[in-house]
Amino acid sequence: MVDTVRVYVNGVQVEVPRNAFVIDAVEKAGFRVPVLCYLEGLFEEATCRICVVLVNGRVVPSCRFPVSEEAKIVTEGDELTRYRRTNLELLLSTHRVKCWSCIRKSNCSLLEVSKQLGIEGLPVCSECPLIGDECLITKGEPCLGPLTVAGCSAECPRYGAPCVGCRGYLSDPRIWEDATVELYRKYRVDVKEIEATMKFFWSNLPERLREVVTKGGKP
Amino acid sequence: MLPQATLRKILYGSKGFRIRVPIASCTLAAGAEEVYRRVRRAVEELKLDAEVYTVGCTGLCFMDPWIEIAKEGQPPALYGNVKPDQVPQILKRYLEGDLSGATAVRFKTDSRDPPSLDELDYWRLQTRYVSRNCGLINPESIEDYVETGGYSGLKRALSMSREKVIEEVKASGLRGRGGAGFPTWFKWKVAYEQKSDVKYVICNGDEGDPGAFMNRLLAESDPHRVLEGLIIAGYAIGATKGFIFVRAEKPLMADRLEKAVNDARRAGFLGKNILDSGFDFDVEVYRSAGAFVCGEETALIAAIEGRSRPRQRPPYPATSGLWGKPTVINNVETLAHVATIFQSGVAEFTKYGTEKSKGTKMFCVTGAVKRTGVYEVPVGTKIKTLVFDIAGGPPEGRKVKAVQIGGPSGGCIPAELMDLEMDYESLQSYGAIMGSGGLVVIDDGNCMVDVAKFFTGFTLAESCGKCLPCRVGMKQLSNILEKITSGTGTIDDIELAQELGESIAKSSLCALGGTAPNPILSTLRYFKHEYVEHVVNRRCPAKVCAKLVKYVIDPALCRGCIQCAKTCPTGAISGSPGEVHRVREELCAKCGQCLIACPFGAIRKV
Amino acid sequence: MDPRGFVESVVSRIGTDRSKLINILQEVQRTFRYLPRESLEEVSRRLGVSLAEVLNVATFYHQFRLEPVGKYVAYVCFGTACYLRGSSEVYEAMRRAVGLNDGKTTTEDGSLTIEKARCFGCCSLAPVVMVVSSDGSERYVHGKLTPIESRRLILSYKSRAASTAGFGSIAAAGYSEKDTVR
Repeated sequence: MVDTVRVYVNGVQVEVPRNAFVIDAVEKAGFRVPVLCYLEGLFEEATCRICVVLVNGRVVPSCRFPVSEEAKIVTEGDELTRYRRTNLELLLSTHRVKCWSCIRKSNCSLLEVSKQLGIEGLPVCSECPLIGDECLITKGEPCLGPLTVAGCSAECPRYGAPCVGCRGYLSDPRIWEDATVELYRKYRVDVKEIEATMKFFWSNLPERLREVVTKGGKP
Repeated sequence: MLPQATLRKILYGSKGFRIRVPIASCTLAAGAEEVYRRVRRAVEELKLDAEVYTVGCTGLCFMDPWIEIAKEGQPPALYGNVKPDQVPQILKRYLEGDLSGATAVRFKTDSRDPPSLDELDYWRLQTRYVSRNCGLINPESIEDYVETGGYSGLKRALSMSREKVIEEVKASGLRGRGGAGFPTWFKWKVAYEQKSDVKYVICNGDEGDPGAFMNRLLAESDPHRVLEGLIIAGYAIGATKGFIFVRAEKPLMADRLEKAVNDARRAGFLGKNILDSGFDFDVEVYRSAGAFVCGEETALIAAIEGRSRPRQRPPYPATSGLWGKPTVINNVETLAHVATIFQSGVAEFTKYGTEKSKGTKMFCVTGAVKRTGVYEVPVGTKIKTLVFDIAGGPPEGRKVKAVQIGGPSGGCIPAELMDLEMDYESLQSYGAIMGSGGLVVIDDGNCMVDVAKFFTGFTLAESCGKCLPCRVGMKQLSNILEKITSGTGTIDDIELAQELGESIAKSSLCALGGTAPNPILSTLRYFKHEYVEHVVNRRCPAKVCAKLVKYVIDPALCRGCIQCAKTCPTGAISGSPGEVHRVREELCAKCGQCLIACPFGAIRKV
Repeated sequence: MDPRGFVESVVSRIGTDRSKLINILQEVQRTFRYLPRESLEEVSRRLGVSLAEVLNVATFYHQFRLEPVGKYVAYVCFGTACYLRGSSEVYEAMRRAVGLNDGKTTTEDGSLTIEKARCFGCCSLAPVVMVVSSDGSERYVHGKLTPIESRRLILSYKSRAASTAGFGSIAAAGYSEKDTVR
């Protein structure tokens, strides 16, 4: 007989082996928590702190926290969402989101979790199916995809129309520089045209962003 | 607390004439070695039949270096802040019976004597329980320690069953003195109940908090007490081996502990079949390469295993610790308490403290106080008593603004809350922690945002980088504070700092990240107005944050002596001799050297 | 001495157990005053631990350094008490006096290294600077410094490093703490 314990995940009762971790119980009960660094059997160091849940009111990483008899596990809530979002934002703050040239684009758990948690800070390129030679910028079109906040499923580029930035610009200056150097400059997109497109929706276009784009990289 | 007869014997020595010179890291830094040489030379020159006796430190750092002269027939007299040249003079006058130059005497024999230690607040208000031997006995002599009742605790513990030993620690109510205040007996019981041939006990002497050095002082001044506690702990859980974890940066502490271990082994307190009890136990002093995070249990274990970085708990070390074996880790002071409890009984210990936290705690009071030092007081003593009555309060003309308790993991308690009684729970509820007991007094000349920035910078540098919130979050927090102190912050930044701080505290992997935002959160709680002043009016009220202050020369006071222009490293001060000088703001590096150089006080910070 | 040969002699003495890694590195540093690259490679090979892991440990602990230091190393205490009493001004003044900039800690001529340090535990002397000769034979502690004094102090060490003259004047200004007392 396998030694098991009884736990409650969001009120759902499940039985799991005594040596299981909280995440196993959560999955068994039919719930999911977002995970990033956890890879069962390979990496179980609990370093990303995205998979946090409440166990008896305490914030713990579900991937590494052992279950205990009668434990009450809560996987969703304002508090947890706040911690997950903060941690993900911190991670993104060290990450240059060059989704236009990233080979992980179609298989990126960072993107997946970001979408799940509704993180703003990713470019439209992250959702755009046009890559490589298909990308509108490589054809010289003034697409604002790399500078624009994602969340629209890249509807316009998807159908061949360059992004006009209707969802607003990204606030990270590093991405302005990357986009300018790696896309607009490289593919000789007309600076005047981009500037004109930017002014269309971005009435409050920051001077710095304008400078980065027009002067090609660093202002 | 020692019996009078023993105390007299130790004070006067076998020759009836003993001169104590403290040799510990702190007194050495203050020049005790030269004093020691002079004392020896003076004794030779005056042909005295005296014993020059090295001791540890009393914890009265403000009087370093000190000497104590005790000759039979005269009261032992302490002389503070001794300059090497004064030594022969002091000795001669003492021998003539003139005690007027002494700071204090141990006990009075005559009403005209200088005050006795028991009349002085900084001694009278202390309860010297674990630190009883500090500054009194030679830390390198096992005989002296045994003389004061040493190793009698071990003998008693070994005559009891393991369960009884743990019961006794439980009855004492002793809680860990390293920070969180976890009940010591509980750790022991869990480890005791594990079925394993091999178990370990570790004495945590890492002590990395800036401004806290009570563990170093205790281990340098009375190393056998710590060792005795460790052996008792080893017996209680059935361990075979103990480690004393010390930083290599504290060589004297490590050397003295190592000598204590060797002496104890020779005397039969360590090794096979200790005192015929059938208990085998040995101890190794481990010299760590130094990292703040090693104060955390799992990181400490990782260091001994030759690795780095903490890991997620549970499993707790008591069930799976060093090399996967049950391991108990106790702080230096906790173990010294254990030894003392077994020497003098539980009742003596529980006399002190509060309902929930018994006994005494050593606090290290530094910063803006007249008498910097390490003081031992009952748990639950008011902050006010410690800062004002014992440490003498701030220097003339200064006002206490806050007290920072618990180092980089602790928080700031504002001056209004000086009546707070310090125990684990009360400090925690006010946003600080007991920590190892470092207490830094901050006066009105310090900027609280700058203080928060200092601690954030410390934990940022010491973050091991394993978990995300601590590694990146502390960097972002430090960026926010940098922004605020350089005058480019906004109100939103204050809110962001608060939110980020709370998130880091809750979701970090180990206690370092869990407590790292405390300095920010507690200053935001009590000194939000200072933050607001920085971002709204772009002004640093304490005139500390360099980018928010300007240096100006008052034309009414300037005599044109060119002293300031000469010292200015960036050449920002112009003016010819005899004329009023001027600071050119665009060149000024805000180093403040002109402020010190000006003989007329004409330069002001605004 | 050859770092590889030295590692070999240390390893043959204290063994190749994984837990001895820190002790071996401490021995290497005691002899060479820093950890030469070859020694790390040799340790990695001998212990069967990846070089990345050896570097992880070597860069994690404060005691270890990967670059040689100056003849004298001045540690400016950045403990709380020292910081509140102006150790950052002392640090800056000393760096300016010997022309250190851009995050460099060792002077061009290899005479001086100026570093921030954690608490020495002599808070009553704040702000404190400890100067250690790189061979560990000399150790001096200077307390209650002002930026101007510290400037003078560091320059005297600079000239001391250049010459082989006696230490009289500096020792008089501060306190000496040669580890001879027993």
